[in-house]
Amino acid sequence: MVELDIEKLREIVGKENVSDDIADLYVYSSDASVHQAMPSVVVRPGKTEEVQEILRYANQNKIPVVARGAGSGMSGHAVPIDGGIVLDMKRMNRILDIRPEDLLVKVEPGVINDELNKVLKPHNFFFPPTPSSGNICTIGGMIGTNASGNRAVKYGGTRDAVLGLKVVLANGDLVTLGTNTKTDASGYQLARLIVGSEGTLGIVVEATLLISPLPKFKAMAVANFDKLEDAGNAISKVMSSGITPSMVELMDNVAITAVNKALGLGLPDVSAIIIFECNGMVKEAVDYEMNAITKICEVHNGSGIKMTDDPKEMARIYEGRKKLFPSLSRFGDGLVSTSLADDMAVPVSKIAIAVHEIHEIAKRNNVVMSAYGHCGSGLIHTKILMDPTKESQWEDAKKAVAETYEFVRSIGGTTSGEHGIALSKAPAMKLERKDSLEMMRAIKRALDPNNILNPHKMMDAPDDWTTATRLRYNVRGGQ
Amino acid sequence: MEAKNLKKFEQEMNTCIRCAYCSEECPVIVQKGWDTDGARGKVALSYGLLSGDLEPTQSIADKLFQCTLCRNCESKCPSGVEVCDIITSARADLVEKGYASDIHNTVIKNIKETGNIYGDTEVMAPLQEGEVPLFVGCQYLSRPNKTKKYIKILEKLGINVKVGREICCGFPMEVLGFKDDLEKHKGQFKVLFPHKEAITLCPTCTVFLRVGHDVDAKHILQIILDKLPEANLDMKVTFHDPCDFSRGLKIIDEPRQILEKLGVEVVEMKNNKGNSSCCGGGGGLLMSDSKLSDDIALARIRQAIDTGADTVITTCPTCETVLKKAATQIKELEGKDIVVRNIEDIIWKGLK
Ligand SMILES: Cc1cc2nc3c(=O)[nH]c(=O)nc-3n(C[C@H](O)[C@H](O)[C@H](O)COP(=O)(O)OP(=O)(O)OC[C@H]3O[C@@H](n4cnc5c(N)ncnc54)[C@H](O)[C@@H]3O)c2cc1C
Ligand code: SF4
Ligand code: SF4
Repeated sequence: MVELDIEKLREIVGKENVSDDIADLYVYSSDASVHQAMPSVVVRPGKTEEVQEILRYANQNKIPVVARGAGSGMSGHAVPIDGGIVLDMKRMNRILDIRPEDLLVKVEPGVINDELNKVLKPHNFFFPPTPSSGNICTIGGMIGTNASGNRAVKYGGTRDAVLGLKVVLANGDLVTLGTNTKTDASGYQLARLIVGSEGTLGIVVEATLLISPLPKFKAMAVANFDKLEDAGNAISKVMSSGITPSMVELMDNVAITAVNKALGLGLPDVSAIIIFECNGMVKEAVDYEMNAITKICEVHNGSGIKMTDDPKEMARIYEGRKKLFPSLSRFGDGLVSTSLADDMAVPVSKIAIAVHEIHEIAKRNNVVMSAYGHCGSGLIHTKILMDPTKESQWEDAKKAVAETYEFVRSIGGTTSGEHGIALSKAPAMKLERKDSLEMMRAIKRALDPNNILNPHKMMDAPDDWTTATRLRYNVRGGQ
Repeated sequence: MEAKNLKKFEQEMNTCIRCAYCSEECPVIVQKGWDTDGARGKVALSYGLLSGDLEPTQSIADKLFQCTLCRNCESKCPSGVEVCDIITSARADLVEKGYASDIHNTVIKNIKETGNIYGDTEVMAPLQEGEVPLFVGCQYLSRPNKTKKYIKILEKLGINVKVGREICCGFPMEVLGFKDDLEKHKGQFKVLFPHKEAITLCPTCTVFLRVGHDVDAKHILQIILDKLPEANLDMKVTFHDPCDFSRGLKIIDEPRQILEKLGVEVVEMKNNKGNSSCCGGGGGLLMSDSKLSDDIALARIRQAIDTGADTVITTCPTCETVLKKAATQIKELEGKDIVVRNIEDIIWKGLK
């Protein structure tokens, strides 16, 4: 257990912003992942200078510091595996500057993604990286995980939308990285290095983000497929045809069953459904692209194809998709959704075989796995549906996860497309990126020699995710 | 600890993926800001109590009682987790371990000894013979003028209600975690109120008569909507949906239709209808943490003021009381004026 001077922390941020009460420690011991580890204290800084002072103190005393936004990370990002200080960043939530004329906005890290978009809307602008969790996740967390979402297929992920950052380093120094412009060839791309660093290299205290004009026109199409292979081919054809959809979302049968049960959407019982969206400033261009997509779907045996530009209908479809992951928990049979093997990316032409193989792996290992996701960018979400109270199911899950990633690697894919690595994906990433692990560690050592910032994550995480921390479920023995 | 009430919800809690969608507009986290204060935090604490990771402490109990049971969380949860049932079960397990606050104990004792939450032996129902049973409920019993007004409104519209001696519906026992007492109370309730259907005045009693006593309870507004003649009150108001009304009973359109009939224009608050924000008075919070309750009410009254309307109408006596206090506070703090009225006053005015 780390020895901590709580009084010192209280002096820095005020006593109402520090807690070592068991109720708080317990809640801050877990996030949306399967992991759990208790911090020693939770601290809620309100300004940059406070973050600097906390880090100076922690660095001198070699106390781990784990930044936390909304705690919606799925792989144990904000779980303090070595205890120490959890730094809840949500009080730093000011929008500092809105400059549509420069296509940028400056914000503190605790700003919630959807809140930022609400503020940008009257300016006819938006911040394109749109995770399904946008209603709760923070900009700091999005930067930490390099989050992306439905619209990444057109606009890219968080890494493409970060122009500059202010970052407090492990020793408390404040550095300004990147700039205010979209092009930047001035030295190492250090702002980009911080994006996706999962709080292991520094604490983001300000971000300069690229924003885009809100498209004037938008339309959606939904197509059903009886064969996964046809759905996969349709996606690949659309993406390679020169069309730039703003969203391409696939849902497999497991996902369809779950949203129907949880949300009563009444979707058809087919192998796959794809939702396409195109947007732009010219209606004819949007219509042209939508028609081209429809034709491609027809050629690939898509059926029941429905196109709409009715805002209410589009919102209904989008909401259903946003709530897919939590809905999986209503799949039934005592199985609940766990955030495992959740966001691999594969080359676009390999989506159908990957989804097919995922279903096979699930069958072999006594679990249910769904496959859905932002497939236009090769991203496949899977969740493992299992009984988390049974020890044997964790063995099953462990095998299913390992086999899934082995297959993903074999077809040239990557472990995480958007949620990041942290703990539960670390074993797979270590195999995938074995050539560059030492480079990652060297960077970590250079910036954080005392290894205080979110230690033992990613390249430094334990090799067995099932024992990396305790599991947050009430696991009992038996079959 | 043995968590016999939470045990029934283990699967439900496993279903929770800890996404925190439920915490987005939880009035408690909005005021206090710690993850522990949100609905996800409360589910996590409950799970800890069940699994044995956590032994009960006063701070854990405080967190679990800092909840208005407004069901905003449930309306946001895409996994359909029954957050409020989990929280009341955790409360019940904590109460068994001796974590009921003095004030909660007093309320329950009052119900047991006097049949109403106030411990007032003088409280009398306006007994009368009639056709349809009316359940008045503690809140309206303690506001006899309002009750009379509602009964008169019913009379004017040709509905004769029967009012008998009654005792509390027992909802406080359910929400404050006194589940064993509730089971006994239910038997006594049935003796005094043996009816299968009833008209009700209080949104919360309406919910609990339905779910706790299997009575086909209809809120008075549902009954009078079609019968009410049109009027031209020429008012511009905003409407506060009580949580038990819009989320509990899913009664959303009726009060607005009534106001429209009476010539009252409704301007909506930022959070309205199914996504209404709580007044801060529910779930026992008013008793256990009045400061937090006040802060939540102030946030709500600010939303009402932001609409530009000079009056906020509601349909729940607790919301009315809590919001009136907030209106007084906002006048003192920010010099802003807003009047809080319950809908029976407006209906009465329209009928005169
Ligand atoms: C239902 C659901 C749906 C989701 N959908 C998507 C999706 O569509 N796309 C997607 O990409 N992700 C998705 N996610 C995952 C998650 O929401 C994202 O990774 C999100 O960006 C995390 O943000 P957060 O604020 O919750 O961060 P946290 O989980 O609190 O933290 C994430 C990481 O960022 C670090 N961090 C946080 N703040 C800072 C800071 N100020 N400085 C440095 N490091 C920091 C933390 O240390 C941690 O390593 C989803 C999650 C859920 C539960
Ligand atoms: S919204 Fe539902 S699933 Fe998500 S944390 Fe809350 S209770 Fe759990
Ligand atoms: S019922 Fe209301 S106050 Fe209680 S946890 Fe849910 S949203 Fe928060």
